[in-house]
Amino acid sequence: MTKKKVKVEICVGTTCFLLGASKLQEMERFLPPDLTGRVEVQGTACLGCCRNDNFGSAPFVKVDDTDVIANATLEKVINRVRRSLNL
Amino acid sequence: MILLEETFIEIECCQRIKTGESVCGDDFRSIRLDDESRCISVLSDGLGSGIKDSLMASMTTSMVLRFVSRDMEIIPSAEIIMDTLPVCEVRKISYATFTVADILANDRVRIIEMDNPPYIHLRDGEDVQWEKQTVFSAAWPDRKLNLSKFKAVPGDRIIFFSDGVTQAGLGHSIAKFGWKRQGCLEFVQNIIKREPNISARDLSHSIVAQACTKNPGFSCIDDISCTVIYFRKPRHIRLLTGPPFRNDKDRDFAKTVLDFNGRSVICGGTTAGIVGRELNREVRTDLRLRGGGLPPISTMKGIDLVTEGILTLTETDRQLELDNRQQSAPLAAAKLIELLQESDVIEFIAGTRVNEAHQDPSLPVDLEIRRNIIKRLKTVLENKYMKKVTIKYY
Repeated sequence: MTKKKVKVEICVGTTCFLLGASKLQEMERFLPPDLTGRVEVQGTACLGCCRNDNFGSAPFVKVDDTDVIANATLEKVINRVRRSLNL
Repeated sequence: MILLEETFIEIECCQRIKTGESVCGDDFRSIRLDDESRCISVLSDGLGSGIKDSLMASMTTSMVLRFVSRDMEIIPSAEIIMDTLPVCEVRKISYATFTVADILANDRVRIIEMDNPPYIHLRDGEDVQWEKQTVFSAAWPDRKLNLSKFKAVPGDRIIFFSDGVTQAGLGHSIAKFGWKRQGCLEFVQNIIKREPNISARDLSHSIVAQACTKNPGFSCIDDISCTVIYFRKPRHIRLLTGPPFRNDKDRDFAKTVLDFNGRSVICGGTTAGIVGRELNREVRTDLRLRGGGLPPISTMKGIDLVTEGILTLTETDRQLELDNRQQSAPLAAAKLIELLQESDVIEFIAGTRVNEAHQDPSLPVDLEIRRNIIKRLKTVLENKYMKKVTIKYY
């Protein structure tokens, strides 16, 4: 049976790119062994969150089409992926 | 590149310096006289090589441009040039050759040649030979001027070169008597058969590169210059960047990419989002298409290129302004530069809504206002790359 994959969309709009998405877009290379092959990393055009103070600050990463992580770091994204996979 | 009414005239000169010299002894200049719908191009080859040759060639091109643009009689003009050029201490003569292409309104062309290899006029792949009137000055009877006139039609190419092209390989095994005009003509005819729409830029580069292959070790045994003038329909490109100032204009803004006879580019994540939403087209961002410190390229059906906005445009402008662009540009900027260079008429559709997040003091670099970058791009594309550029604000 194919294991469930978590979709991770990294906003590569100008603000996000400058504030950390340029590093996050490499995240597949830094995934821990138990998450290898379990994450589908994609880029996305500006999510529009940077223009709304309520969302927090860039960079933004969207997980599972719904949840937006503000001020995203590799650690935050990995934790969120683990939660989705119940690991 | 010059736009005269409906025909677009692409003019490009490729030059290589004689091996061992530091400056080119051939000089090429081109001017556009907008109020007369006229454009004049001159290629000159001075006597010898190096600085002396370069000076004579550049003096000749400046004088010829001035005389021709002021419609001076050609024989007195040539006399002034001969009398003005410094006399070579060794050869006791003053000498520089030239070819002038004077393109007037309605694609009427006048060619004036003095001692350069005869020009090539290609129409439907054929070498068209126009009758040439030969004139000379009583003071300089050896210096004959050949004049020809014709009306160009779309698809025509005029090619002229210094003797570095026709004499390429002279005295060497491959082409003992040089490549000659005929060799160059056959080479060009073959290229055009394969690539009927080859640009003036690519063709001039190919001719010069081929001339070098005739010389030992691909060297330049003389300065090599080749000018190609290509009469063609203009290539259009439309570049959308930035969200419109008012949200209710989003739909009109997005629809500008529809029914457009040319290439379309979107620079900006928010912009791509607006166009995608309004036209119901998906924006896909492929993280593999990144590089050089710029955000990755995205794709959208019907759009030739989708990139991030401010950073990509700023880098594109920086690269275009560089005098000698040797390092390769980051992927997104390189793609954009390629599209802009291949186009003749560039329309910027610039949304003016400012993204407040771009003014965040915690950003590691200063982001410019989009409008300023677009204005800078317009200036460099017009002045350095001779494009016709318009900006429409939304």
